[in-house]
Amino acid sequence: MTLSGWEAVFFWVFAIAALVAALLTILAHNAVHSALFLISTLVSVAALFALLGAEFIAGVQILVYVGGVMVLFLFVIMLVNVGAEERGSEMLFNRPAQVATSVIFLVLLSLGFIYAIRQGYEGLLARDNLTTREQREEAASQRRESQQNLRLAATGTSRISEDTQLVGASLYRFAALPFEIASVLLLVAIIGSVMLARTTKQEAATDDIETARGD
Amino acid sequence: MNNFIASTLALVWQEATVSRWQMIKQGVLEPDLSKFLVIAALLFIIGVAGVLTRRNIIVIFMSIELILNAANLNFIAFARYLQDTGNMNAVAGQVFTVFIIVVAAAEAAIGLGLVIALYRNKETIFVDKIDLLKW
Repeated sequence: MTLSGWEAVFFWVFAIAALVAALLTILAHNAVHSALFLISTLVSVAALFALLGAEFIAGVQILVYVGGVMVLFLFVIMLVNVGAEERGSEMLFNRPAQVATSVIFLVLLSLGFIYAIRQGYEGLLARDNLTTREQREEAASQRRESQQNLRLAATGTSRISEDTQLVGASLYRFAALPFEIASVLLLVAIIGSVMLARTTKQEAATDDIETARGD
Repeated sequence: MNNFIASTLALVWQEATVSRWQMIKQGVLEPDLSKFLVIAALLFIIGVAGVLTRRNIIVIFMSIELILNAANLNFIAFARYLQDTGNMNAVAGQVFTVFIIVVAAAEAAIGLGLVIALYRNKETIFVDKIDLLKW
């Protein structure tokens, strides 16, 4: 799955953008700035999804994650008072001992990642017969050939991929049970978040009982 | 001790089959699956750093979303890799990602409801001030 040419350029642009925006998310003073940097990260990751041929998931990411979850975050940031933090009078980070421990843990984690990616990737290439350059070129030309059979798009310059169709077919046939369970999960989340965020006055109003003064 | 350092360096320092400059050039001009995995791993590490070091609970939630996105990127990269190597179940990675996005949305809703309830009771959003259960 080697990307080349302009796809490689866009990969590096969006990858560096995602990493920089993620770093700024955890380093920003203002919580609203953090939320906006996280939105940039999510959009860059959606662009990486589109580069990998998962256009449906890129659209779902922008609609649901950016358009739903991040808007919810921004609402809650506005409801909760973050004035002290942005004036600089509150600390951003935990105590130095905790930060040092987490840095040591992260160094060990990244060493583990490098080892795992190195070993696993070599093994994966060996299993799929892609170790030499010629084998990779052959696999790339096979993919190009199989893509000639797709339908042409309206303007004739690109082809309509079958990814969305395959994902939909999977979701309704093989993954139908997790799909239904996900619906129940969303229902539970809706009911739960309404219950958690109600004030006692609102709860009492629906029960038609009097609240004591000062509740 | 020397052995330990040598083996740790061997983890990260690959021996060069062609010249090292050639390897770097090929890695940059033709990114492969491993580059996507590295980007996802770095996003994961940044997310974990955010969860462990920030005091504002909403920024901690946002770092958790970063972690979930790193896992999503891994799944989609492998879905494309399996599709290229002709596996029949290649679209399973994208189906997993849909479910991760659904679960993340549900978790964000409940978590932020908890934050609002917490703020109403304790008037703070900094996690080191929320220490009622501490010894």
